[in-house]
Amino acid sequence: MNLQLSTALALTLAYAGMAGLCMAMERHHEQVTGRRDVSIRLRWVLRLSAGVLLLASLRVCIDGWGSGVGWVAWLGYLTTGALLVVGLWAWRPRLAMGIAVTGGACSLLVFVLACQSSAPA
Amino acid sequence: MRATHTPDTGAATGGLRQAMAWLHTWCGLWFSWLLFAVFLTGSLAVFEEPITHWMTPEQHAEEAAEEAARASLPATAPVAGRAQRLAHASDYMTQHHRSKDMWEIWPADAEGGGELKVYWFDEQHLYAQAKLDANTGAPQPLLPPKVPARGTLGGQHFVDFHYNLHGGTLGLWIVAIAAMVMLLALLSGVITHKRIFKDFFTFRPKKGQRSWLDAHNAVAVLSLPFQFMIAYTGIVFTATTYLPAGVWAHYGNDAGVHLRYTTELTTPGLQPRSGRPLAVPALEPFAAQAVALTGQPVRAVVVDHPGDASMRISVYGWNDPKGLVRRMSDATGMVAFAPDGRVLQLRLPGGSADGSASFVSQVMSNLHMAGLGGWPMKWLFFLCGLAGTAMMGTGAVLFMVKRRNKSLREFGGRTAQVYRCIEALNIAAITGLAVACIAYLWANRLLPLMIDQRASWELRVFFGVWLVTLVHAWLRPPRAAWRVQLWTLATACLLLPLLNGLTTGDHLVAEMARGDWESAGVELTSMAFGLLAGWGALLLLRTGKAVQPRRTAHPSLGSAGERP
Repeated sequence: MNLQLSTALALTLAYAGMAGLCMAMERHHEQVTGRRDVSIRLRWVLRLSAGVLLLASLRVCIDGWGSGVGWVAWLGYLTTGALLVVGLWAWRPRLAMGIAVTGGACSLLVFVLACQSSAPA
Repeated sequence: MRATHTPDTGAATGGLRQAMAWLHTWCGLWFSWLLFAVFLTGSLAVFEEPITHWMTPEQHAEEAAEEAARASLPATAPVAGRAQRLAHASDYMTQHHRSKDMWEIWPADAEGGGELKVYWFDEQHLYAQAKLDANTGAPQPLLPPKVPARGTLGGQHFVDFHYNLHGGTLGLWIVAIAAMVMLLALLSGVITHKRIFKDFFTFRPKKGQRSWLDAHNAVAVLSLPFQFMIAYTGIVFTATTYLPAGVWAHYGNDAGVHLRYTTELTTPGLQPRSGRPLAVPALEPFAAQAVALTGQPVRAVVVDHPGDASMRISVYGWNDPKGLVRRMSDATGMVAFAPDGRVLQLRLPGGSADGSASFVSQVMSNLHMAGLGGWPMKWLFFLCGLAGTAMMGTGAVLFMVKRRNKSLREFGGRTAQVYRCIEALNIAAITGLAVACIAYLWANRLLPLMIDQRASWELRVFFGVWLVTLVHAWLRPPRAAWRVQLWTLATACLLLPLLNGLTTGDHLVAEMARGDWESAGVELTSMAFGLLAGWGALLLLRTGKAVQPRRTAHPSLGSAGERP
């Protein structure tokens, strides 16, 4: 993976993960769906998927920058991803969630493919 | 996620939180103006090199010509090998600078071609240099440039200003104290923030004070790891300057201390001159062995005490930009030899030759300067730095927004006057500094090339404009001052490419077409700042039209943890 691809993947995955955490909170859930009550189960599904996305982002960073610099990069992408979530959610919550779902799914797919192609045969 | 604070069980917790709120308010207020300046210029300092590049347009043609010459050379012309280059340099130095304490030879670029240069310290202890012909060893006259160079500090101005305010050691002390206060403000801010997790993603726009608090919390909490890191590494970076006790205890505190200290730090194990003569040996075998040990091509060969038995020969390597991306430290490979070929010291690329303490210090400075991880990391540092800038700015504004409608009478009978001062300082510190920064770039294009001390004049424009914004903020009503300065900022930022086109004939499309992304990046970023400032001015216009600022919180959101 080159730096451009690592950057794109790490940022999108971090953004999608942060959006998942955001979506698991009543107030922000309501901004997207109009319903305030989020079932405990849905909440945990959202949080777990967010966790998977954030870990995938960490993995991309460690692959791209090594085990030292990778952590620094990851923290940077978490910050930028979260700031993007906050900014977008305030004005266009549905759009923000839409980007998170499509972006997260696409990056996850690319991530899995990249992992498979780099794994020893 | 639940709020993970201990429940408010009684006066003790409330008391602590209130004490912390007080600390946060006043530490924050008195230092936010300075820290805003440090953070904005520090963020710009990440792109020191592109800014310097943009500010020295006369050199663009020269750089392009050199690049083209290098690209066309290796295939056709014979290039002198490293052994020959080192021999030429050694001969030249023996002939002309035999008695110097140190020779520094830069034989070639990372590909083995390019210029051959030698350096030494002259009588005033300043770096002196000569360029030699790689094939003949003849010294080449250093030609005066064809076009008069544009005297400028370039991006270095932002680097210097952000750590010493151009004020030498005193400035460095002031910035360091501000950074320590910032750590205090961060900590007290986190403790004061009751709903750090509940409000993690919360920003409620167009709600006056509420929005300012949300914005302040969001940029601060979400970039917290960066803010702690940058303040802490910044303090450690120059620690020996304001915590000199350790150095004094070892070296005493007379005049030569600093030189002796840095010499020993950079060339450990160098023996004093013995007085026994010893000819400088051929340098190539040392270079070859260093390449074998570190795996890096030779960047420089340094000979300490040449011609004396205490001689020490150190070979430094060229970093490979690709490898640098994955390394915490940007230290190059280095091997120090005794003249008989014994290895005295070995540092692998990215490692340390003298223990983990020096490695940690290396990593911390490198971390502070965004020297790791390549260009994505530079942008992350730039953005996080701007988040820090926004944290200072929103905090300072919030202080006044909270008091605009209801005086808290902290300063007794003089409260109104003090508020007025704070308001003016807010304007000058936030929009004023930003205007001064862009004025510095404008000065670079508008000041005549031939004036004396041109670089200082650019700085004078920077400080002069800043002073004017302060006077303006003081004389005009706050709202009008904010508006005028924001529009000025927006205009100056958006018109920067036009100014460049009118003064140098270069323009954005041409820059991008020829792949000069450093110049294009500066202008595009400037325009982004311009749009941001314009947006801010429009928001101000809109809230100005509303008769009364909305002050009630959204009923469904309950009472949020308010902070001063």
